[in-house]
Amino acid sequence: MSFNSDSDASRAAIEAIQGGLATTGYICGESIATAVFIAQALEKPVLIEGPPGVGKTELAKASAQFLDKPLIRLQCYEGLDEAKALYEWKYGKQLLYTQVLKEKLGDLMEGATSLQASMDRLHEFDDTFFNEEFLEPRPLLKTLWADQGAVLLIDEVDKSDQEFEAFLLELLQDYQISIPEIGTVRAKHSPVVFLTSNNTRELGDALKRRCIHLYIPFPDSRLEREIVESRVPELESSLRFQIVNFVQQLRTLDLKKVPAVSETIDWARTLVLMHAQELDQDLVRKTLNTLLKFQEDIGNIDTEINVMTRAAVDAR
Amino acid sequence: MTQVLIEFVRALRASNINVSTAESLDAAATVDVIGFKDRGLLKESLSLVLAKSSEDKQRFSDCFDRYFFATDMKGIDVLGSDDPSADDSLDVGNIVTTTADVESASTSTLTSMVTNENRAELQIAVANAAREAGVANIRLFTQRGMYMRRILEILGIEALEDDIGNSDSVDRLKLSDLRVQLIAEVRDHVERQLLLYTANTWPDLREEILQRVPLSAVEVRDFKFMQGLVHKLAKRLVALHYRRKKIARRGHLDVRQTIRRNIEYDGLMFDTVWKRKKIDRPKVVAVCDVSGSVSNAARFLLLFLYSVTEVLPKVRAFAFSNQIAEITDLFQSASAEDAISDALHKYGWGSTDYGHALSDLEATVLDDIDHRTTVLIMGDGRSNYADPGVSHLRRIHERARRVLWLNPEPRAFWNSGDSEMRRLGSACDRVDSCRSIQDLERLVSEIMRTAV
Repeated sequence: MSFNSDSDASRAAIEAIQGGLATTGYICGESIATAVFIAQALEKPVLIEGPPGVGKTELAKASAQFLDKPLIRLQCYEGLDEAKALYEWKYGKQLLYTQVLKEKLGDLMEGATSLQASMDRLHEFDDTFFNEEFLEPRPLLKTLWADQGAVLLIDEVDKSDQEFEAFLLELLQDYQISIPEIGTVRAKHSPVVFLTSNNTRELGDALKRRCIHLYIPFPDSRLEREIVESRVPELESSLRFQIVNFVQQLRTLDLKKVPAVSETIDWARTLVLMHAQELDQDLVRKTLNTLLKFQEDIGNIDTEINVMTRAAVDAR
Repeated sequence: MTQVLIEFVRALRASNINVSTAESLDAAATVDVIGFKDRGLLKESLSLVLAKSSEDKQRFSDCFDRYFFATDMKGIDVLGSDDPSADDSLDVGNIVTTTADVESASTSTLTSMVTNENRAELQIAVANAAREAGVANIRLFTQRGMYMRRILEILGIEALEDDIGNSDSVDRLKLSDLRVQLIAEVRDHVERQLLLYTANTWPDLREEILQRVPLSAVEVRDFKFMQGLVHKLAKRLVALHYRRKKIARRGHLDVRQTIRRNIEYDGLMFDTVWKRKKIDRPKVVAVCDVSGSVSNAARFLLLFLYSVTEVLPKVRAFAFSNQIAEITDLFQSASAEDAISDALHKYGWGSTDYGHALSDLEATVLDDIDHRTTVLIMGDGRSNYADPGVSHLRRIHERARRVLWLNPEPRAFWNSGDSEMRRLGSACDRVDSCRSIQDLERLVSEIMRTAV
């Protein structure tokens, strides 16, 4: 293993990933591609943090498409537990079967004279109702069972409880999960795991330690232009330049919620629908609500629209 | 190669990034994959496995730049080009032998090295000598001289000095110039190491002191720093107690309910019922005295209040000196610093009138208070000899789950002069003195523990 070729080979692999993600419509900088590369090389999950709307979830989707593996998604929320995330018994089905099989049970019990004898007979059928037939696999188990491997997206992990976070550790460390009734389930192929977090609460160190940590900031204007170009190709390049410049200016202001990339894309689509050729004050005022989601913010920047629009149009 | 990584991890820890052993192993695996050659790539990937929050990333970036500063990279390449699979001891051995070579042939080596003015080579030699001198253990700036001397000795400065003595006057002048340069080089190196390994000692100390200092004695210039501290505290508390108010028993079949609900289906169990527990979402009404008598502590109480509104849902915040004003919206719309100075400017510095303030509070929030509400009052209970309004507080107390009073004065000062703590305290579930960040943390932690 020679050192020089190592760096070059990984550099090439990273560029390949970057290009591959771009073909799925996900334009990203080097750091994101590096994260995907390292995650694959070390077989470790990636924890993605960053402001809302910078494409954390999109990265998982694009990677799934690029790697040609199914995407399995687990949306976290307060109160999510293993019954919703891992597996559950189909209680309804179990109960229904017991009812339907009631007569059959009567037949089976026939001839058993004592209570003990009936019990013994029942014990022989114990596991009929606890096998995979009655098991409802939830996203995590589905991931482990996937034949070709899968991309698992655990979305907004910060919304889940701490217990659930602890429960995830076994999965993230060894790609296996222990189920009391069945035993340990190991992944057929190591899945590619993405976790996203909006940092509404501090995640545990144990979880962070098991993951590669990727922070996605807002893109710079060059990257954002590329993203808009790939997502809204019908937008003229001069207008693209202007709206990205405008949004970048907005991000420097004190707003309740600064516009994210997804909002820039929405705005670009809106302008395409309106057949806009160039930004002007009226147009910005009319369409600003696609960009800013709080009436307060819209009111606050009203006086500055004039200056910002001119700066955006003049900037070259 | 391993040695370099281990020292880098130590430097990271010194700048307050918690790197676990598992993470250093990850870092080693990463380096195995990508190698040392591409600096940008190395930084990017090590940052992925070693720095686990956005603040850590910033600190990582600074630390990386300081540790692997541009010229050093060549040195690592030289070190790294030994067989990378070689184990640790062999690696160290290599370094030692290199240094030994330098030493044995010192008369020529060091002299020729400085006369050749090959700066990169010289820096590698200095770095190796420094490693042997154990410069990574440097803790205090007073140790600089000692480590410099040691490094110079390992480099073979004596031989160089002999050479200077033996050479003729022209060479001597040139050589002594070079000797000065060499010493400067070593000093720079030691300074960098000092910076690297002690980067965080000072803020740590400051943090420790500020936690214990009485709130009223904190200086304005420490405000920014305190802000971070208080925010950290609030976040930690919420994380700690978050788990108390979660759903406990979901995903279990409630057999009793299921049977009852399915009676209409003749006992055929179609409709399943699950056990569940309601999430307890406590409401908090927090009232902060911002009058002249508590003006110093008020800044920090407000700061704490601000952090609490950020991390807990359903907090209503009020400030008063003689009239009460709701500042919830102000807190939500402005940054901490602006909101606090705004609140102090608008409502602060008046003389306290608890009677008036509490009757206002009763009128504003009484309808909103129920058995889940915790009322938190922060103030000194000094009412300028006017009616303290105990009856209003009592009515609030009857409705609310709990009323807590935090007083920034030490207990010994209570009930002296115009302080009405005894009477006000009779309408509270709990009264406590809260003087420093540490007190604040302890108290709020206790409050939240008993909250469920």
